[in-house]
Amino acid sequence: MSLQTDNRKFSERTAEGIDNPFMRSAVSSAQDSLKTRRLTAATALGEWEEWRKAGQQIRQHTLKHLDYYLQELAANIERRGGHIYFARTKEEASAYIGRIVEQKSAKRIVKSKSMVTEEIELNHVLLAMGCEVTETDLGEYILQVDDWEAPSHIVAPALHKDRKQIRRVFAERLGYQGDETPENLARFAREVLRQKFLEADIGITGCNFAVANLGAINLVTNEGNGDLTAAIPKTHIAVMGMERIVPSLEEMEVLDNLLCRSAVGQKLTSYITVMGPSAPGEADGPEEFHLVVVDNGRSDILGSEFNEALQCIRCGACLNVCPVYRHIGGHSYGSIYPGPIGAVITPLLGGYDNYKELPYASSLCAACTDVCPVKIPLHEQLIRHRQKIVEQGRTGTADRLQMKAASRVLSSPSLFGKVLRLANPGSRMVSSRGRIVRGPGIVKGWINARDLPQPVRQQDSFRSWMENRKGGAGK
Amino acid sequence: MNMQQSLNSNNNQESFLDHIAAKLGRGRIHHVERPKLFLPGRKDAPATEELVGILKEQCFFIHTQVIESSPVILQQTLDDLLAANGGGAVLVSADPRFAQYGLKFADPLLWEAAAGRDENIRRAAAAGTAVVFADYALAESGTIVVESRPDQGRAFHFLAEHYIAVIERSRIVPRSTQAAADLNRRVMTGEPIGSCINLISGPSNSADIEMQLVVGVHGPLRATYVLI
Repeated sequence: MSLQTDNRKFSERTAEGIDNPFMRSAVSSAQDSLKTRRLTAATALGEWEEWRKAGQQIRQHTLKHLDYYLQELAANIERRGGHIYFARTKEEASAYIGRIVEQKSAKRIVKSKSMVTEEIELNHVLLAMGCEVTETDLGEYILQVDDWEAPSHIVAPALHKDRKQIRRVFAERLGYQGDETPENLARFAREVLRQKFLEADIGITGCNFAVANLGAINLVTNEGNGDLTAAIPKTHIAVMGMERIVPSLEEMEVLDNLLCRSAVGQKLTSYITVMGPSAPGEADGPEEFHLVVVDNGRSDILGSEFNEALQCIRCGACLNVCPVYRHIGGHSYGSIYPGPIGAVITPLLGGYDNYKELPYASSLCAACTDVCPVKIPLHEQLIRHRQKIVEQGRTGTADRLQMKAASRVLSSPSLFGKVLRLANPGSRMVSSRGRIVRGPGIVKGWINARDLPQPVRQQDSFRSWMENRKGGAGK
Repeated sequence: MNMQQSLNSNNNQESFLDHIAAKLGRGRIHHVERPKLFLPGRKDAPATEELVGILKEQCFFIHTQVIESSPVILQQTLDDLLAANGGGAVLVSADPRFAQYGLKFADPLLWEAAAGRDENIRRAAAAGTAVVFADYALAESGTIVVESRPDQGRAFHFLAEHYIAVIERSRIVPRSTQAAADLNRRVMTGEPIGSCINLISGPSNSADIEMQLVVGVHGPLRATYVLI
């Protein structure tokens, strides 16, 4: 999988999402539950706005001094006997990991959930090398068993699937014979995956935050698969987006608190682990530890007008409140990063050529900005994207003509008056029972989801009423 | 070693970091003062009994059983717990507190560096229960903090079905803030610190199927905290 999960047109993807009632009901109930849990956890902590400010300050400070902290991290990882590799592109990152796999003659690889490894298309590279790759996060494993289906949510990747579908996939592909209760499905996956952990040559994880002054990485999980992935195999490779770093454990603690509450409404998740190369004399943990720091387009965001998007800690809270995500679902974004944050960063990482529609997949209600634990002004960044898309002339001809026409009419009072007079007779052909039912471009987009009342007759309009009342006293 | 050199031979750390500095509109910097954190929240130090109350309440939400015991009856408490959970082998470490509290188990499996990776992992997987002593306990989140050591590896905490953490009351702090500050103090002063630090809050769990909570996925299925 790469950043792009679907190369069909945006309109086709969203149409498929909107026509999938199961997905829509799964997403809306998940949103409702996660929203409530987040709110409860934030309230219980108290002074949430102050915590958000602290989170924002930590992220901004680190980004502002990113080269310094990455250098400190590199020095400390190496001091502890680990290896750090800086990859400018996704190709460099996955090629480096491929070389380790080759030199270890590794065949069996376990992975714990990591969006950045999706971004660098690591599985593709490893499978092409003939490795057996196993995703061990329960949600990701379900997707893998179902022909490597794309994730639809940052935190809950298999959100769009129900227990019946999962039972069927497990039965068809793995010979599962149990029922569809989540406990039994999870227990079955536990047995299968336990063996994979014990046999693995290499474990690959992501990294929630690297801790610069310790030379370690921090993983935040609930299942325990991240820890097993890093503890059992002799080689551990961690992959991080270059901006996911904190100065010390103190900043990590603040961000982990914000992350757990915002993502799943927990005070802390079951497992928060700070790990690095094993110390001399320790029996398990990696004999060989590699940290791969990935740029892959991030440095172009750094210092730009979208700099604040790099503050993201991937909690997914913005997805859980987004009314557009609710209706079109994660797959419609065509990116491993869906929802409001996905609509901001996907065009930055993948370019407007493929993703110029995403900034429009928002009602600009700003709910995302409101919940973001590190105060990224998401809806403002979406507006900025739209401005750039228009400035670069990337909007369609029909859109441009409609806007041009609207601008002519709205800037001329006499023309505006004429159009108003013609609006009612002009709309009769496309109206039914006082509602417009057909129309081009923007009209069609509007009436897809809402009523558009037919314009009133000239003699019934507010303007004529105002002019006529008591001999034109309104003038 | 040769392999590492060849792996890293094309490493481009300096140009990578120079590029970042250039994007930030400046040259490389070699000293940064870490800003002091001003965090909200309680500034007082609650009494231990208050912290115990908070911890117990939180453990209800994280599906973790809490048992109040004491050094004198700790052995009995643990024996009862083991019996109630079906007995079986018990994974222990060379933590001096096992001896300090005079603990002995009928069927112990010891994690010891000398046994090597495979044998230790085999023992951990064969144990029905793992018993640890917490280095810190965080009341607010119901968390215990443990560090890896040669006598207590990383997989120690993840393979047994039942996980028992013994918490000495004096080690309970209000929340993660205090533990992080103390751990970071140790980093800054160069005191020894575990190569792996685990903050563990109850049994493993997942809500990946229809957002319904399943307790017990890859790690322990059950967790018990014993307060002494």
